[in-house]
Amino acid sequence: MSRITLNKLGKSYGQVHVLKDIDLDIVDGELMVFVGPSGCGKSTLLRQIAGLDRPTSGEIRIDGRLVNNVPAADRGLAMVFQSYALYPHMSVRQNLAFGLENARLPRAEIDSRITEAARMLEIGQLLERRPGQLSGGQRQRVAIGRAIVRNPTAFLLDEPLSNLDAELRISTRAELAALHARLGTTMIYVTHDQVEAMTLAHRIVVLRGGQIEQIGAPLELYNKPANRFVAGFIGAPRMNFLECGADGNALVLPGGHTLNKAVPAKGKVTLGIRPQHVKLAANDMGTVPAEVTLVEALGSETVVHTMAAGNQPLLLTLEGQHKVTAGEKVHLKFDDDRLHLFDVEGLRLN
Amino acid sequence: MNAQTPSSAASRLTGALLAPVRYLAGIIDLPLRGLQKVTGLTGMASFFLLPNMAIFTIFVLLPLIMNVIYSMTGGTAIFLDSRTFVGAEQYSRLLDCGSYLDSGTCAEDRFWIATSNTAWFVLLQVPLLLVVALVTALVLNRELKARSFWRAVFFFPVLLSPVVVGLIWRWILQRQGLLNLMLFETVGAQPHTWLTDRFWAFAAAIGVSIWAHVGFYALILLAGLQAIPKDIYEAAEMDGTRPSRVFWRITLPLLMPNLLVVLVLALIRAVQVFDEVYVLTGGGPGTSTMYLIQYIFETGFASQLRNPGLAAAASILMGLVLVVLTLVQLGISRTNERKGQR
Ligand SMILES: Nc1ncnc2c1ncn2[C@@H]1O[C@H](COP(=O)(O)OP(=O)(O)O)[C@@H](O)[C@H]1O
Ligand SMILES: [Mg+2]
Repeated sequence: MSRITLNKLGKSYGQVHVLKDIDLDIVDGELMVFVGPSGCGKSTLLRQIAGLDRPTSGEIRIDGRLVNNVPAADRGLAMVFQSYALYPHMSVRQNLAFGLENARLPRAEIDSRITEAARMLEIGQLLERRPGQLSGGQRQRVAIGRAIVRNPTAFLLDEPLSNLDAELRISTRAELAALHARLGTTMIYVTHDQVEAMTLAHRIVVLRGGQIEQIGAPLELYNKPANRFVAGFIGAPRMNFLECGADGNALVLPGGHTLNKAVPAKGKVTLGIRPQHVKLAANDMGTVPAEVTLVEALGSETVVHTMAAGNQPLLLTLEGQHKVTAGEKVHLKFDDDRLHLFDVEGLRLN
Repeated sequence: MNAQTPSSAASRLTGALLAPVRYLAGIIDLPLRGLQKVTGLTGMASFFLLPNMAIFTIFVLLPLIMNVIYSMTGGTAIFLDSRTFVGAEQYSRLLDCGSYLDSGTCAEDRFWIATSNTAWFVLLQVPLLLVVALVTALVLNRELKARSFWRAVFFFPVLLSPVVVGLIWRWILQRQGLLNLMLFETVGAQPHTWLTDRFWAFAAAIGVSIWAHVGFYALILLAGLQAIPKDIYEAAEMDGTRPSRVFWRITLPLLMPNLLVVLVLALIRAVQVFDEVYVLTGGGPGTSTMYLIQYIFETGFASQLRNPGLAAAASILMGLVLVVLTLVQLGISRTNERKGQR
């Protein structure tokens, strides 16, 4: 049971402000994902919550209790490290038991918790091995097991899948989601991979440069990104951005083409459109002319790279297979309901 | 084209610098090619190894062989041709004892005194050295102010010549030395003759040799400490581990490979203790700080009745002990390497 609240949290290393005014309320049982590019402060934020590091300003509360100065071990949290950080000289069993021995739990209780965790994670046959004798995926399970046996009030996971190969990452991702559903414990999950964030999260916190860009459910972020950064970060392939002008009720693309769309602004704006929301059109009615530069036929879908609206790159992904070739002149139709508009500061307009 | 300009300029510069080398290589190219025709490729490798082999032969291998030969000869003469062959007589003299626990019952009692002195020295100096090196490394591994400065301070004595180390400490410990002066000035103590007191001379030998070498071993241990991932300590912190348990259950086991290396290196060195202690105490008072190397040195070269054969035999016996220790050390570093690869 735990609700984690951050209040104006800040962290500086000397003159470098790594985290700035983080306000966040993680409700009990939630699976919250911190996502953002490398170096944006995700790990630093997690470490403040864990108690491995002390914030420079602001408050951290767990179930209302101020824990800024509570040692890591007394916060009731468990952490899974990116490197797994298993004790290399101890067997898997000893790795799992270590924290419980520190808490002076009775032997029988320790054994039963280990047995239960080993069953849940299917690592029962590995208990007597050392971490050096395990595969990456097995080590990862042991790291999770070490967190589970402690019965924490919340799990903190720092890029737990980043050292696994692509296939294993996908299956482990699904297992983690199942594990969360089963335990119902609050989980904070850090990743730089937006697909991981989208598939796992109840809510996502998008971080950039130590600040929160947006908090919301995965589809909220996808459908209504609050700013250009979130729009570009969430979704693959990346959203297209076209610089254009606005005059209140129409968008003027460079090259002179206009799109009829009510725009609550005048002057320069950025038009965002996801590659999935652009289609090829048969005629030139209300469309944008473009020239194909590259075609990637994947079978199930076709990714078409084009130059449009005054030589700005624009990508579209079409379902199925299409006969398009590089150099071809095409007409593009934008899905009017899926246009995103951003002002010069990058904030959402519509 | 543009992108190539800097790299082609750089290659032109290296070309100019290498010109004399190319010229020289051109001159010796032909004879070397000729030689390779005669010797073959592996033969050429031996040819290039020759200078090193020559040095090794003259300064290590030959003396070693001569030492074995000397150990089987008798008399006081220096040159081999005027010495007589005595077989294993020197060895049996060294090993001739009524009881190995009492040097008084031995034919060559000074050898056994030196041996037992050395054994005591090794037994006390090595564990102490290890503890001091470990504590030093642990302290230097912390986030201290001016950490590099302190590391340099502890390593500095290693760079001193052993003779200088011996002299420095003699100035400090002799009757009119710095220590007595300070004790007199602060608590008004009467001067004590540290280096002519059996107990204190032995303590000084151990203390000074530790002071002189601890930086080297601390450095090895420090490298080991820094190789332990920080994450593991953070995992232990999350696990609520008390500092003492972190030390005994995490730091110490993970440092064990380095500790073993340090242990064996320190053992090998302690068996060979000589120069700084010889300068410091001269082996005294009496024979209380006379160690094996000093015995060998004095028997072979310094005493009036010098006996090179006996000294050579003693050095070979001691060499055997060192060979065993070195094999142990090699074994350990091989195991470490194999573990590192996994
Ligand atoms: N101990 C530290 N001292 C100084 N700067 C640090 C320290 N830890 C992290 N940083 C800086 O904080 C920023 C965020 O780091 P981090 O939280 O690890 O990023 P992320 O996990 O999002 O990739 C980086 O620019 C990093 O250089
Ligand atoms: Mg990180």
